[in-house]
Amino acid sequence: MAAVPNQSNYESPLPGRPAWRWLVLPLSVIAGVALWEAVVRLNHFPAFILPLPGLVWQRFVTLLASGDLAWHASITLGEVLGGLGLGLLVATTLGYLIAKSPGLDRALTPYLVASQAVPIVAIAPLLVIWFGSGLRSKVLICALIVFFPILINTVVGLRSVEPDLHELMRSLRATRWQMFAKLDVPAALPVWLAGLKVGATLAVIGAVVGELVGADRGLGFLINFGRGQYDMALVFVAVTALVAIALALYGLVSLLERWLLRWKN
Amino acid sequence: MIKVPVFVRLLLSLAVLATLTACNSGATAAPPSNPTTAPGTAAPAGTSAGGTTAPGGTTAPGLRHIRLPMGFTPSVQFAPFYVAIEKGYFASEGLAIDFDYSYETDGVQLVGAGTLPFAIVSGEQVLLARAQSLPVVYVMDWFQKFPVAVIANASAGIKTPADLRGKRIGTPELAGANFIGMRALLAKAGVASAEVTVSAIGFNQASALQSGQVDAAVVYANNEPIRLTAQGVALSVINVSDYVSLAANGILTNEDTVAKNPDLIRAFLRAFAHGLSDSIANPAEAYTISKKYVTNLTDDAVEQKVLAATIDMWKAPHLGLSDPAAWETMQQTLLDTKLLSQAQDLSKTYTNEFVP
Repeated sequence: MAAVPNQSNYESPLPGRPAWRWLVLPLSVIAGVALWEAVVRLNHFPAFILPLPGLVWQRFVTLLASGDLAWHASITLGEVLGGLGLGLLVATTLGYLIAKSPGLDRALTPYLVASQAVPIVAIAPLLVIWFGSGLRSKVLICALIVFFPILINTVVGLRSVEPDLHELMRSLRATRWQMFAKLDVPAALPVWLAGLKVGATLAVIGAVVGELVGADRGLGFLINFGRGQYDMALVFVAVTALVAIALALYGLVSLLERWLLRWKN
Repeated sequence: MIKVPVFVRLLLSLAVLATLTACNSGATAAPPSNPTTAPGTAAPAGTSAGGTTAPGGTTAPGLRHIRLPMGFTPSVQFAPFYVAIEKGYFASEGLAIDFDYSYETDGVQLVGAGTLPFAIVSGEQVLLARAQSLPVVYVMDWFQKFPVAVIANASAGIKTPADLRGKRIGTPELAGANFIGMRALLAKAGVASAEVTVSAIGFNQASALQSGQVDAAVVYANNEPIRLTAQGVALSVINVSDYVSLAANGILTNEDTVAKNPDLIRAFLRAFAHGLSDSIANPAEAYTISKKYVTNLTDDAVEQKVLAATIDMWKAPHLGLSDPAAWETMQQTLLDTKLLSQAQDLSKTYTNEFVP
């Protein structure tokens, strides 16, 4: 049999032995770091323009050892999860109502779409004024940023159910709850989860935007602080931590997706 | 053996080449001059070189363009520059100023990197920058008084620094001129940091004070107090400069310019000092000229009060001289608040040798 590349989603683009697949990511990271080091050395960049990877690593180790990094990261993570939860709840509920009621759809959708045109960085200072510079405003900013993708995906997911299937359930005298749990939810789930993936990574942006406007703790605060101290290495450490949080959330949602949609395979 | 298609190899090599070339050229090329000035820069009467900074960038030949980060949005507080440009002081020194109203830290880094020759900064920025090996030097003191104040509602009874004990103080952020000024004030009054609650409230001091989120807020003495009082709010104001002397806003340059182009520094400071002394001597004229550069001034009475309060902070027997004691206090405050971990060599941080 000729060696034909497998058509599944998770196959490496390079044909060859499976062992190579696991080396691609670490090798590309090492190559990236090497390129970074080369760029700094070739251009003789001082630390306040672009620090060497070694310096960033040093800062990372110091912050980790003192517990500061974990503390600030936990603050931001709390805001992210809170905002994600709030946004998820409101968006899914509203999405369901909009999908089921054409009247509500006509009434609300124009305003919801318009609200998305307002850049969150412009709104954030207003929210900090109205809700204080504590946790509340950050959670709200996060929730606002994740709201729209999840809303749209909920509506689209629910509308993807064929009307015939609803008819079928009704003819079998299914209750509204049964229609919801056995038809709507499984049908909308794939699209909804895709919205959640987008929302999870956007939520991190929302938390940072809120912290950059006014905060005294969190990774966004560390970024501001680093800028004020001309400590670029600190900024890099904070940004890397944020990337790690976003990746972790994305990974968790992917796992959730695989578990919830296992009936598909 | 992995077979990497030829076109993939080609793309990868091109990508690497492009990255390295871009990095190299990006590091050496100066950013394009970015004229962000208001219109209406008429050539002053009686001078031949009427080159200034109209948005089109059309100036007389031979003028060296200097992009200047101001650290704030256009304001009457920059009157000395507007006056110096309008009266041709910069032009007669062979200079044309292009204002850049970006954030303070970006200006310091650009000067430190050697991309720009000058920036407007507050004293603490210089020490913090030098601590991170930015080779910057402060060459002229513009504000003799540190412009920060702590305000509270008049009814709160906070009239002296000692009254801040046990209160909640709001500051835009936990760093920068506002924070430093507040800390120095408290230190001078013997109020320990544990005796107050400080929170970062962004630039929403007025609303935080009004809504009761904080008991006192840290602001610029020549800005919020005047504007809020004009709106009928009764305030009590504690000026940091009444209690402690700190190195305040001034002109920054880098060690490279000091070594290789001291004449440029002298020319720049001469023109600026002339604009400064003219503004102090004739505030009304300074205001009229500023209106051409600060286009959205709606309330003349309030803005003139702001200018008057600001001028008051510039006055000195000899304009531009840095006070060694003010720098010592600034460094000590930074060390005490742990914003600075190591004392810097003050003789390299600032100099009076170029002050006209």
